[in-house]
Amino acid sequence: MRSWLGPLAFGLIVAAATAYAAIWAIPYGLMNVAIERLGQGEINTMSYGNLATPERQPVVRPSPDLAYSSCPYNISDGPIAIDVAPVPGRYTSLSIFDAATDVIFVRNDVEASGKPFRIIVARAGQAVPKGAEVVRTNHDHGIALIRILLKNPAEIGAIDAVRRQSSCGTVTKLK
Amino acid sequence: MKSWHRYTITLVGGLAVGLGAAWALTGGGLRDGGIENGPWSTSLGYGTKATDAITRAAVAHGGLLALPAKETIYWSAKTDAAGAKLDGNCRYSLSGTPLDARWWSVTIYDEAGYLVANPANIWSVNGANVALDAKGEWRVTIAPSKPAAGAWLPGTKGQPFHLTLRMYNPGKAFRADPEKALLPQIVKEGC
Repeated sequence: MRSWLGPLAFGLIVAAATAYAAIWAIPYGLMNVAIERLGQGEINTMSYGNLATPERQPVVRPSPDLAYSSCPYNISDGPIAIDVAPVPGRYTSLSIFDAATDVIFVRNDVEASGKPFRIIVARAGQAVPKGAEVVRTNHDHGIALIRILLKNPAEIGAIDAVRRQSSCGTVTKLK
Repeated sequence: MKSWHRYTITLVGGLAVGLGAAWALTGGGLRDGGIENGPWSTSLGYGTKATDAITRAAVAHGGLLALPAKETIYWSAKTDAAGAKLDGNCRYSLSGTPLDARWWSVTIYDEAGYLVANPANIWSVNGANVALDAKGEWRVTIAPSKPAAGAWLPGTKGQPFHLTLRMYNPGKAFRADPEKALLPQIVKEGC
């Protein structure tokens, strides 16, 4: 039995180290899955998702009260610009998540005074348009998400045209 | 058995135990956040860089893309007011007064955090579609079959369920003392 003491102690250390590493890695892994599912292969483009139903749940715990528009991003080649057009009288928010799933920016329609706004997402050192509102991040990947609250699902038809005024894309002009 | 055999066995076992422990530790969904209020639980640290690694992984696992507390507070309930597991075979009264938030909703999910098909295509109630009675209270029945009167949130027979209460732009007073805030009551009426 004594011959197992060393291997068992080794196994415990391996288990603890594996759990620690996995807990650190889970957010990154699940964010990659969400980027793939929400963008369906598209990057730096806004997708205007259908309302969540049992048949359509790209991420866990979706809200059936929200119209989600998402922009999975990759800024390794340069910054992206996100343009948000709040829906009048409705809770609308832009939230930007980094690869670790942390929120690096959030603004709702009240904070924006109901007016459209543009946010540039860039890594440290990347050139950005002069005078732009910039969010700097240490990660290349993440998701920008626009939420619009609906009183009932039938409203999506009336709101869809307005939400499609929001967009995201690679920054091509720095002036 | 040779020594390296024993080390190989415990290496494989350690990897499996470590991965299983990580998944189990982070499997509480948006629960176990440290703030308890009746059957509801939350954390004010969701979505922030300041949150601890286990909470971050748990949110990614059970509520990816959650907003920080200033924007939205997510409460989760797995039990009724008496502490019994929420059961899709039973009938519950979900009731309360308007919450201190710009908007609120209660959504029903399965244990893994996903919507389940139901004939009414209803998965949530919110502050805009519940009616207030003369006392200023709202009431919703959670049950597998539609109640004779009043609002209905369909449960699924044979399945336990979880509830998520979302409060968008919660009031400052609420955020200052969420443990003592008045949250919806979940009372089992029968099975």
